[in-house]
Amino acid sequence: MQSSLDSSLPPKPPSLVARFGNFVDRTFQYWTVAPLVIVLLLLVAYPTLQLLRMSVSEVDIVKGEVVWEVVGLKHLETALQDQLVPIALQNTLVFVVAVVVIETFLALVISILVSRSKHLDGLYRTVLLIPLLVPPIAIGTMWRLMYDYNYGFINQALKLIGIVAVPTWTANPQLAMPSVVLVDLWHWTSFMFLIILAGLESMPQEVNEAARVDGASEFQVLRFITLPLLRPTLITAIMLRTIFAFKVFDEIFLLTGGGPGTATEVISLYIYEVFSGQFRLGYASFLALGLSVIISVFVIFYRRLGRRAA
Amino acid sequence: MNKTTKHKRLTLHWGLSILLFVSFSLAACGPAVTATSVPTEPPSVVTEDQFPNPTEEPQVTTPTEEPQPLPPITILINESPWLAGFEALVNKYVEETGNQVTLNRTPFPGMLEKSRNAVQAPESEFDILTLNEQWYMQFYADGLVTPIKEIDPNFELDPQVIEYEWATRWDPELGYSSENGEIYGLPINGNIMLFFYRKDLFEAKGLAAPQTWADVEAAAEALQDAPNMYGYVIRTNPPNWEFQGFLAGYGGKLITLDEKTGEWEVTINQEAGQKALATWLKLGTTYGPPNYADIGQPDMASLMMAGNAAQFVLVGASASDFDNAEKSFVVGNVGATVLPGEMAGSNATMSGIWVLGVPHNLPDERKQAALSFLNWALTKDAQLFYAQAGAIPVRQDVYEEMSSDPTRGWWMKAMADSTPFIHAQPRLAETPQIIEVVDRRLKQAVAGEITAEQALAEAAKEIHKILTDAGYKVKPLAE
Repeated sequence: MQSSLDSSLPPKPPSLVARFGNFVDRTFQYWTVAPLVIVLLLLVAYPTLQLLRMSVSEVDIVKGEVVWEVVGLKHLETALQDQLVPIALQNTLVFVVAVVVIETFLALVISILVSRSKHLDGLYRTVLLIPLLVPPIAIGTMWRLMYDYNYGFINQALKLIGIVAVPTWTANPQLAMPSVVLVDLWHWTSFMFLIILAGLESMPQEVNEAARVDGASEFQVLRFITLPLLRPTLITAIMLRTIFAFKVFDEIFLLTGGGPGTATEVISLYIYEVFSGQFRLGYASFLALGLSVIISVFVIFYRRLGRRAA
Repeated sequence: MNKTTKHKRLTLHWGLSILLFVSFSLAACGPAVTATSVPTEPPSVVTEDQFPNPTEEPQVTTPTEEPQPLPPITILINESPWLAGFEALVNKYVEETGNQVTLNRTPFPGMLEKSRNAVQAPESEFDILTLNEQWYMQFYADGLVTPIKEIDPNFELDPQVIEYEWATRWDPELGYSSENGEIYGLPINGNIMLFFYRKDLFEAKGLAAPQTWADVEAAAEALQDAPNMYGYVIRTNPPNWEFQGFLAGYGGKLITLDEKTGEWEVTINQEAGQKALATWLKLGTTYGPPNYADIGQPDMASLMMAGNAAQFVLVGASASDFDNAEKSFVVGNVGATVLPGEMAGSNATMSGIWVLGVPHNLPDERKQAALSFLNWALTKDAQLFYAQAGAIPVRQDVYEEMSSDPTRGWWMKAMADSTPFIHAQPRLAETPQIIEVVDRRLKQAVAGEITAEQALAEAAKEIHKILTDAGYKVKPLAE
């Protein structure tokens, strides 16, 4: 009787301690990752916020103190009037398109050949990876010496085969950008090769074999099976390469310094000049932020393509 | 039972969370591992691999009758061709005084960043900063180095020390380097431009050392035999410094300050600028190698040493390379003289020196120790030793004495003769911006992207805007 009376009463609310215990139980996964999130926020979000703050400020060092002055959109106005910004952006876009397209094509061809090679494939992989292991500063210096008009290996070799009017490479406004692109192809094709080869080797071979059994030619296997299956890998590789290409600096810095004239002046090089040479921290931050925004647009585009491919 | 389990889980969850948080916080906030160690055997010059802690109290153990050594000092020094001479000088100082010196040898691209970081710290890690022509004015203007008279009110600069058009001084009222300014830095490397030419070829053709740019062009014409011999080679990577030498020889400047009114005038596009650019472009594109649009200082030196260049303007410090039998085919055949001018006597050379400055954020005893080294390094004996060790001194009497030196006399005399003609590039906080404009426009002109007239006109507009935006009083731009 007593028990039936008790059961008709509304349930007794849990104690404060029990409620707190339940809350902790429910949210335990968040508490455990919280320290990591806090550290990541400090390492990523704080510098990004500093960049944002600097891009709307004039920053100077006076008597060892960093002095901030908020200037709003003044740097945007400066960038719009800066005659070098459109040139640098145009050169950067030309460079990015050239290297991404050519490197993707070359890496794809090489990866397919290596993946199908039955002999010495280990050697090919090793040799093809070497350029990626060389520090960019060494690559720039090495190619600068090779391109040297008077004493460079390339012109000496051309003279040996009877070409007297040898090119001036990095000193010729028409040849400077192709010369830089060539160095970049030598350096970065290995990176694309590595990713595409990994994608090819992780693909199920049964599908290809079934197609061949059904009478598909090698080209048809490549066109209708290999490439569609490889699409997500290709998009990831192209996205990464685009990001790196937008940020190209060391090779151009060492090879041409942006010249001759403004033929190879790219945006990263200009940001370096504004930041380190002219010490205009605010304006350099604004340009860096602008570059990040442009890269983000490309990343979003590639991610949408990637989702569609998936 | 259930309650106990729940309690245990709760304790475990909280314990784990706190442990994780503390671990991350400690990892993030812990001190960085440094690779410093304290050298144990003074006196000697310590290299960057053996840094002592500059803030550490010196362990003085000398007998009481000997003078007490000053606190150890650390000098931020550029890794450059004159470093060996500077090291020899420092070794001599250590030997003579017993004071300990550490050298932090740094490649040129890292010098500015290290200097800036040092002056922003609560206490600078360096006691002496080696500052380049392009940026010491920023350190002066922002008060990042100490005025020398603040360290020693009785300090007087020896008149034999060359001041390179007041590179040592800053006048806060004028906002510029001037004779009336206060001394902030002391020169240590007296790099200026010299005119180098192939003495043997000039003699064979009966040519005298050029006095004017017209003489230079005549010699270039006479000696041109491309690709074996280029009559004249210009420096285009970067071009601004050399062009300013030409400009000064024509009596011009990039910008001019009226010291009475404090008003600036952009003068690069005036008649002198036009003549200077026309001469510079003609010499480079007509008599230079086909890659004239991309020639740096090392390329020029290589051309001379390989016997492929007849004449050019280069820093005085490169002279010793031309006489290095291991590198050069032209040992003993290169002559040096003062840069020519538009007319004989209107010569001009540009200063490209390094100065030593004492950071503002040092305790007094460290500043005193730094100044003690600076005073010693500028004495005649020290500077003679410095020059004989292969460096570029900063005293006129040393250049004059070294003019009769059998190995270095040929270019030391040219250095001595150049002193009255030394000019400086603008010394403003905005100078790097101005130089960037000049470099870009000259590069465009030499690459044929724009004409010489456009280059000067566009450069003038941009420089005018830089000065106006920075708040200077600027005269309207002359058409």
